Amino acid sequence: MNTIATSAPHVARIASFALRTTQRVSRALLLDRPFRFWVNELAPVASRVELRARVLSVVDVTHDVKTFVLAPRVWPGHLPGQWVPIEIEVDGIRLRRCYSISSPPNDPHVEITVKRVPGGRVSNWMHTRLHAGDFVRLGAPSGDFVLPAATPAKLLLLSGGSGATPLIAILRDLAHRRALEDVTYLHAARSRRDVLFASELARLGALHPGLRVVLHLDDESPRLDATQLWVLVPDLAHRETFLCGPTGMMDAVAPAFVGLEGRLHHERFVVAKPAAAAPGAGALIHLGRSKRSITTTGRGTLLDELEQAGERLEYGCRMGICNTCRCAKRSGVVENVLTGAISNEPDDDIRLCVSIARSDLTLVL
Amino acid sequence: MNRVLTPHEIDAFGRELDSLRQEVLNQRGQRDVDHIRGVVRTMRYSEAAGRLLLHVGIDPVTFALGSGALGLAKILENMEIGHNVMHGQYDWTHDPELDGETYDWDMACAAHQWREYHNFEHHTFTNILGRDRDVGYGFLRVTSEQPWNPAHIIQPFVAVGLAFLFQWGIGAHALRLDDTIAGRQPVAELWTRARPFLAKGARQLFKDYVFFPGLALANAPRVALGNLIANGIRNVWAFAVIFCGHFPEGVRIYHEQETRDEPRGAWYLRQIHGSANIEGGRLFHVLSGHLSHQIEHHLFPDLPACRYPEFAPRVRAICERYGQSYNTGSFRAQLTSVARQILENALPSRARPARMH
Repeated sequence: MNTIATSAPHVARIASFALRTTQRVSRALLLDRPFRFWVNELAPVASRVELRARVLSVVDVTHDVKTFVLAPRVWPGHLPGQWVPIEIEVDGIRLRRCYSISSPPNDPHVEITVKRVPGGRVSNWMHTRLHAGDFVRLGAPSGDFVLPAATPAKLLLLSGGSGATPLIAILRDLAHRRALEDVTYLHAARSRRDVLFASELARLGALHPGLRVVLHLDDESPRLDATQLWVLVPDLAHRETFLCGPTGMMDAVAPAFVGLEGRLHHERFVVAKPAAAAPGAGALIHLGRSKRSITTTGRGTLLDELEQAGERLEYGCRMGICNTCRCAKRSGVVENVLTGAISNEPDDDIRLCVSIARSDLTLVL
Repeated sequence: MNRVLTPHEIDAFGRELDSLRQEVLNQRGQRDVDHIRGVVRTMRYSEAAGRLLLHVGIDPVTFALGSGALGLAKILENMEIGHNVMHGQYDWTHDPELDGETYDWDMACAAHQWREYHNFEHHTFTNILGRDRDVGYGFLRVTSEQPWNPAHIIQPFVAVGLAFLFQWGIGAHALRLDDTIAGRQPVAELWTRARPFLAKGARQLFKDYVFFPGLALANAPRVALGNLIANGIRNVWAFAVIFCGHFPEGVRIYHEQETRDEPRGAWYLRQIHGSANIEGGRLFHVLSGHLSHQIEHHLFPDLPACRYPEFAPRVRAICERYGQSYNTGSFRAQLTSVARQILENALPSRARPARMH
């Protein structure tokens, strides 16, 4: 592609024009759907509409954590520490979650490491139903929990529980690049059997004198907090810290970084679903597209409230029938006034005319 | 014969249907997705087979088979897939291929116009004279409650013509041409409404009668004729099914003042009394896009249509308990009834006793 572009730029331009024209014509003649169908039917992995990956293998990491080794058709590349959206279908519903990539960029495959969360629809489905040979859909890798361009001389990779997944990618990358000059890898786990990547950490620790692996086990020593952290890592102030873990753990160690904020990088896994406020409580509605934020009383339907706030929205029947006011809810809790059903899943479609806010919301409007 | 319900009974009636709806919602899942994807697969294979037979064959047998297979594909695509997907029945799957807002169907009606006049107007103001423009589509007199005019004398012929050109009728319905003729809609607005329809129609004509015939080279006339027949098959079928849904005898027409501030239960009642079902087997239901269950479709237009036959007996039982009629009959009986309505209403109303509701 590059050689074409440099030797004859007009050829590339014509090729891209021809491609765009073909796409436009096929859409106008409604041939795009049949085309996608036949690609999907005959060569599912060749889809260009979405990035598909084949599951190569599923590896048990601990009693409740598995690593899924994925082979995407093409891979745009990622930086260690980034995450990737993965989409699966559970009982007919496509669900999307973001998981940190646990493999380093030099790995030929993409690995994600998933802890089975009690009641978690996606993680449970992946643990029980996703097998080698299956397909999943991937989004583009993203995230800024990555090492700076110049690798810091002294590092602390600090993780709790499944927060180890982006940090193991960083560690693996450093090991591959032989850049483990002075790295402390501190991992907090509930017990010895919950330690992620234990044997690999032991192997890397033995192999690289610049790597110090510290395990903190909640059932053997007091809970990891700021004081404990200073004891385990006395030279904390001299280190660039990458922190990822459950909210409780991150909050507990946070005081240790007072004054060191500039050297702290952290990634928060949002696991808790937003709790519903009492009916009638005011709510803050973020409109993702127009970047507007609106405070509502929480008593009227979203359609009424947003209209009162001056939004001009598409609507039809105003009684939950016609689907004209359908809108994607990125986050938050709404109640369907017809059925009383609560929607607290991210990326759920709601009808504004029959939904009332039960928490702050982000809507695609 | 419908028993007049007290306000209390109307509320109870509405609540029973609400809870039925919730029950079905709770069961929604893999089975519905498998069903619609299965229909999509059948449709695509039928379409491919039809095109292949039309394009490469030279004999009349492959021509008939090809046209038929393509017609079947168009029926499935428009009715069970397009109509139902565009109602948002599968939006909950988050599958972009089943997304109601972005789906466009293989026929002359522009999808976004249909979503407006059908999903909103027709499904909200069902059978309200003056509000639901689907009552006779503005040019057919399907009930004696519509005023008669001399043009209605030829409506039996107009209806037959509409059957063969049904996709164009559905597309042109968005124009509100009758409003412009009556002076209720400025010409500029007619033009605004006409543009998406003309664009979509032109693209469809190009596809069916230039693009695909062109691909067949020497076989072009055969392919063009096959496409015309396939479109015709779909048109007549859709016309027959849809006319049986709202125009048989016994379907009630409403006036705006009687539906003002109607509670949800009364809204449900209007959907039931304004619709009629067709009895048949599973294949018939799928080919009709489950519009053979027009009553269930009008009660819950956003539930996956493949569920209608499952809970229809329960809707009927609820109606019986409340003394409400439930209009259903064989395809032949409903068609005959529709034909009679069109013929009888072509002439000015005789003095007839007021209908019992």
